[in-house]
Amino acid sequence: MEKTQKSIKRLKSGKALNQVVAEYYLECMQAPREGRPVVWMPPMNGAIEMCYAMDLQPVFPENWSPVCAAFGLTPRNFEVAEGMGYSRDLCGYLRNIIGYVNGPMQAEAAMPLGRLPEPDILLSPNGGCVPVMKIFHALERRFPSAKVFAGDLPQVAVEEIKQHHMDYAVQEGARLIEFLEHAGKRKLNEERLREVVALSDQACALWDEIMTYRRVIPAPFSAAEIGIMFVMVTRQGTAKAVDFLTLVRDEIQERAHQHQGVIADEKLRLFWDNIPLWYNMGLFNYFEKMGGVVVAETYSAAWSLRLDPSRPFESLALKSLRSYPMVSCVSVERRKQMLLNACREYHIDGVIMHRNKSCLPITLGQMDIKRALETELGIPTVFIDADHMDARNFSVAQFQARADAFMEMLLARKGYAHG
Amino acid sequence: MCSEIVNSFVQAWHDHPARLRRLTAAGRKCIGYFCTYTPVEILYAAGFIPVRITGGRGTVEKAYSLAPDFICPFMKRSLEKALAGEYDYLCGVIQSYTCDAACGMLNIWKENLKGTHYHLLSLPYNDNDGARTYLRLELKALMERLVVDTARISANALGQVVDLYDGIRQRISLLYAGRFKGRLPISAQELAYVVLAGQVLPPQDYHEQLERLIHSIDDKDVEQTGVPVLLSGSLVEEPEILGAVEAAGLRIVADDLCTGLRPYSPAFGRGEDPVDRIVDRLMARSPCPSRSKAIQRAAHLRTLVMKSGAKAVIFLVQKFCTPHLADIPILAEELKKMDIPILVLEMDEHWQSSGQFQGRLQSFLEMIVL
Ligand code: SF4
Ligand code: SF4
Repeated sequence: MEKTQKSIKRLKSGKALNQVVAEYYLECMQAPREGRPVVWMPPMNGAIEMCYAMDLQPVFPENWSPVCAAFGLTPRNFEVAEGMGYSRDLCGYLRNIIGYVNGPMQAEAAMPLGRLPEPDILLSPNGGCVPVMKIFHALERRFPSAKVFAGDLPQVAVEEIKQHHMDYAVQEGARLIEFLEHAGKRKLNEERLREVVALSDQACALWDEIMTYRRVIPAPFSAAEIGIMFVMVTRQGTAKAVDFLTLVRDEIQERAHQHQGVIADEKLRLFWDNIPLWYNMGLFNYFEKMGGVVVAETYSAAWSLRLDPSRPFESLALKSLRSYPMVSCVSVERRKQMLLNACREYHIDGVIMHRNKSCLPITLGQMDIKRALETELGIPTVFIDADHMDARNFSVAQFQARADAFMEMLLARKGYAHG
Repeated sequence: MCSEIVNSFVQAWHDHPARLRRLTAAGRKCIGYFCTYTPVEILYAAGFIPVRITGGRGTVEKAYSLAPDFICPFMKRSLEKALAGEYDYLCGVIQSYTCDAACGMLNIWKENLKGTHYHLLSLPYNDNDGARTYLRLELKALMERLVVDTARISANALGQVVDLYDGIRQRISLLYAGRFKGRLPISAQELAYVVLAGQVLPPQDYHEQLERLIHSIDDKDVEQTGVPVLLSGSLVEEPEILGAVEAAGLRIVADDLCTGLRPYSPAFGRGEDPVDRIVDRLMARSPCPSRSKAIQRAAHLRTLVMKSGAKAVIFLVQKFCTPHLADIPILAEELKKMDIPILVLEMDEHWQSSGQFQGRLQSFLEMIVL
């Protein structure tokens, strides 16, 4: 097994995904020429819909990191960031993007997907995790001519959201619109925003529907195809996301109806907690040789936030408030419930917990979740020590030893003969 | 060794677990917090003694059953102590979302330790009318969490508590002002004891102790030795660390620590009512890396360097501490523009066992002197 490797994709829509990704980055690069101001922002909040409604080009530096990992550019970016004094103990997204903008982004040779266009506008978050805030502070320094909006977003557990949190998030949303109108030199058309929010909601509905097919045994697709999430990150609020997810839905629906599984003989159904190893998506296939399929992951439920197009401002505020806590340690209780539900719904036999050196917010609370899985559902867990961006923090040998032992134990529990 | 005049603080710091346990047995209630963005005034007015949780030096074993090893020593040691029952007198933890570690730890404590009051506050980062209105409501929600009937915290009673804490902060500021002028006859290690004691003593007692200390200090120039440095970081829970820095021939003339001056400036906030005063103080606090940009901190450090005459800056950070580590490259660049040399030291939970610490301070000193 290699330290870095790609996953095996089995969906036909995988091809369409490559096109969607290429098209998106091409659109990003063309934006300056086409007069669309480029807005760099963090993912998982309602600003994306505002940008699409105002014909601004959203760019997600965090999403660029998996792209860099896929094309093997990460070590170079790390070298640049670490050379600047950024500690190896910091989140890999932070080191990757800071390294990229201060190094390879300025180099002549671009990657297969091109390069990121310089930002005209930076939406610097006051909320979410600390690394994401620090990423944007570093970007502000690197792109001094970009106009900066620092928007507050309460960091509050989903189950604790109160009216004043909502009111404040709506108010900051209004301030953001005013800023974008001014900095982007355009007006927001509320009707258009409603349409965008409706499209965003359709994408969420499709996402939910796609996820329901994962309940089917054998699973019609696995975490190796999690790249479909790309449209949820970068295209929410566009018809492109809806079209692509419709395509995926149709294919998966058909596979489910035909009982076409990921592998011929599915013996074990697994859940992956935390961010994937972007430089080694092949790990998701590793379990297949022993009959294991990773049928669900942390993000499965995180995108199913429905939006009400008749109340676009409130819907986007709520989306912004809920997205980060749903996958982080702000709502350990909610994450626990999410995982327990997923395990029930997707008939999970075992959970793989990626103890992610690069992401404390998602890693904290995993031990509590593990305990709940064991006591409430009797589902065993294995911890894999790794890192979603930095291959230096991943040991293939340790992974194989733990994964093999775990699989053998699960197989024995289910009554499969050894070997 | 500490001088006579700070003995009561050293003792209060070392004895605080026993003392707080005694107070709890006598019917008082204690509540914990990790970080100084917790509005202690509200906790005290609601009938709790606010206690800053500390990790201190030592090993970590039990905590690894609940948290990964790549989390700051402060957080792992605090959890270790809590799991060993050392915080069994707390009714819970009230914490603001400062860093990801503190937020996650609050949830882990809530899941695994006894206590009924666990609450995460989310403070605004921007300062404008909307943010202040929001913060007022966030503080009100905290009051509701602490006392079912918020009318029990009367404006009058809260006002008196705010006065008390303002008085404490003003006195601490006075000590620091003395140090800036070279007229404070106590070492950095001793001053650290004075500050730390305040984070674990009932405020009334602490106020009196501070008052006595200030009266016992003669306002006269103090002989200065060692190369003046500014120390920046998060928590330094072992005052001996500062002693070790000074023993290496460096004199700490200013600090940017949350176990130092940072939480005490500004000393007070202004406003129509006590809640507004708390809001104003929180909004105006000197920049903490978990809540501000490195560039704002660079300006703050520059001011401290100029005010104190520091010749160098030592960053003494907890290992794995994202807010501090992420700021260092920008701070280093900015300080370089002023020709201020810097040294970055990371502390693990056994800081003392690393002989490296002393060695690096020595070579740093030699470099500055040259
Ligand atoms: S959530 Fe995790 S991976 Fe994402 S930026 Fe924050 S620390 Fe990094
Ligand atoms: S700010 Fe740093 S030292 Fe303080 S709790 Fe967070 S990670 Fe630990």
